[in-house]
Amino acid sequence: MMIAVEGVSLTRGDFSFAGISLQVPESSYAVLMGPSGAGKTLLLESIGGFLQVTGGRILVGGRDVTMLPPEKRGIGFMYQDYSLFPHLTVEENIAYGLKMKGISSRERTSTVNTLLSSFSLQPLAQRHTGSLSGGEKQRVALARALATRPSALLLDEPFAALDPEARLSCMDEVKALQREHGLTILQVSHDRDEAYRLADQVMVMDKGRILQAGTPAAVFSCPVHPTIAALAGFENMLEGISGAASEGGRTLLSIGTTGIIAEGAVPAGERILACIRSRDIMLAGADISRSEQVNRIEGQVISMVATDHGCQVRFAGPFPLLIDIPGNWSSWEYRPGERVVALVDPEDVHLIRLSKRPGEEGNVP
Amino acid sequence: MARTAAGRGSLMSSPEHRLRKKYWSSGNSLAAFWIPGMILVGIIALALLVIAVPVFQNPGYLAGAASDPMVFQAFFVTFLAGFCAVGILAITGTPLAYALSRSDTPWKGIVETLVDIPLVLPHTVAGLMVYLLFMSRGLLGAPFGGIGLTFEDAFPGIVAAMVFVAIPYYVNAVREGFGRVPVQLENVARSLGASHARAFITVSLPLTTRHILYGALLAWGRAIGEFAAVIMIAYFPVVISTLIYYRFNTGGIAESQAIAFILILLCLVLFFVFRFLTRRAGVYDDRS
Repeated sequence: MMIAVEGVSLTRGDFSFAGISLQVPESSYAVLMGPSGAGKTLLLESIGGFLQVTGGRILVGGRDVTMLPPEKRGIGFMYQDYSLFPHLTVEENIAYGLKMKGISSRERTSTVNTLLSSFSLQPLAQRHTGSLSGGEKQRVALARALATRPSALLLDEPFAALDPEARLSCMDEVKALQREHGLTILQVSHDRDEAYRLADQVMVMDKGRILQAGTPAAVFSCPVHPTIAALAGFENMLEGISGAASEGGRTLLSIGTTGIIAEGAVPAGERILACIRSRDIMLAGADISRSEQVNRIEGQVISMVATDHGCQVRFAGPFPLLIDIPGNWSSWEYRPGERVVALVDPEDVHLIRLSKRPGEEGNVP
Repeated sequence: MARTAAGRGSLMSSPEHRLRKKYWSSGNSLAAFWIPGMILVGIIALALLVIAVPVFQNPGYLAGAASDPMVFQAFFVTFLAGFCAVGILAITGTPLAYALSRSDTPWKGIVETLVDIPLVLPHTVAGLMVYLLFMSRGLLGAPFGGIGLTFEDAFPGIVAAMVFVAIPYYVNAVREGFGRVPVQLENVARSLGASHARAFITVSLPLTTRHILYGALLAWGRAIGEFAAVIMIAYFPVVISTLIYYRFNTGGIAESQAIAFILILLCLVLFFVFRFLTRRAGVYDDRS
């Protein structure tokens, strides 16, 4: 069922959010992202009914649940640590919700057995949850949440505690379950890969505000706010002032004493943030010939660190840059201290208009 | 083989091995912690000895105390009143402990201070407060008297005094236990259809078993040991602490020593049995 949050406000200690609205369409998977302290978990707990909101409405499948206690909302909830009941066995954990809803013992046993079987938990049925692995705990938590057939599922960083291998397989399992059961899921995450893999829709939240929503590709390729650009993997963010736009729809940005050309027309004299991914910058020798087509930034290599895909270079020029170089870094011909040129295609420079007033940042069309 | 065994033998007795063993045993030794700690344990052991040794030297007093109906009655009254006090604390103190652990109201600090008051008061002051509250003309004593429940020189008075002095012991131990149960567990229970009350009964309460039992043991121990507060509201029926004091004044040290010895013995047995029976309570790990 669709989850709709309409102008919801909440105050919790020093933190508050006001007038938050979002929608998760029926049978879709939405991922709520944002930096730590953005209010994501509080928003999730508000939708779950654990925190009483001070304004606005929360609707599940068109039904206003704002004033209903959690047990009447029909929303499943899963925390990062899975919050399994340590005093109950795996079987009893899964049966808990059915028992609370007064399902008969016979029907309960049948449902639990089906879930134990479909989540491959039968060998663990009589075990307490304290000794289970992360992946097993997650399967128990999912089976428990699905046992009561909730209208929607709220997941608070469900993959954060898993090792990388278990994480990928668990993500695939959850996505398959979501498709199979037609579940509406709203998940909190810090991870871009999770959003790409799972989400039909991504919402980015910071300081109690939803900054941008859309498909993962749309949000991460065209962030409208510096916070989203950081989440989207733009490692280099340079603030500058826009000059007059050229005929080709390009803008010259003044960053300190240097100019950078970027795609997109911006009114002159505005504060602009130029966002460049480290993988979109190339390094060349200082003697490379000049070209009108690319930005050429002279500087020197400060340090080089090996990564999975090559090496990461710290570059110091008119401004510092982080540059990812593919390939085997040991064969790289430049070394720390050497003079080099960083080359950036204007198409790879994403512009965000900065405003003095927070919340009014907007990307360049 | 023989050469290997011999080689190992020589290695095991080598100066290097002895040095390594000494280094590790000194590095991991708890002696530095045991030695000052044993001063306290020693004081308790000596205190037990000064009670026990004379009793065994004059077993007649012990036999006399053990067969004395007044001693038996005093034990019965003391232990029964202690159990009643713990029962009242369990019914009223458990919800209070839960509320204190979950609440973030600004009034919480005031309530916590009030709960701790019996802990810091001289026992005579606690006794005076209990007396003024529960005497026949007292704020609570008068209305209870109206329904036939009197506290002065009566069993309910002993229970009231015991409850009063044991409140912080029970409430603080149980509050600590509830504080260790993550609120997320209750949230999940509620998302699965449990009301707040059922989430409390089915999740929070079982997970606090150990602290509840520990709080009950502390409160019971504190309650049966109370003297000043009890005699101020109810000198009669005589509790064991009153009887020991009475026999100390009238029959001498030897008589009171014998009763004290029986009390210590009973408490040791009860505490040991309690700890043995509850050693697995609240432990939910298949590995242990």
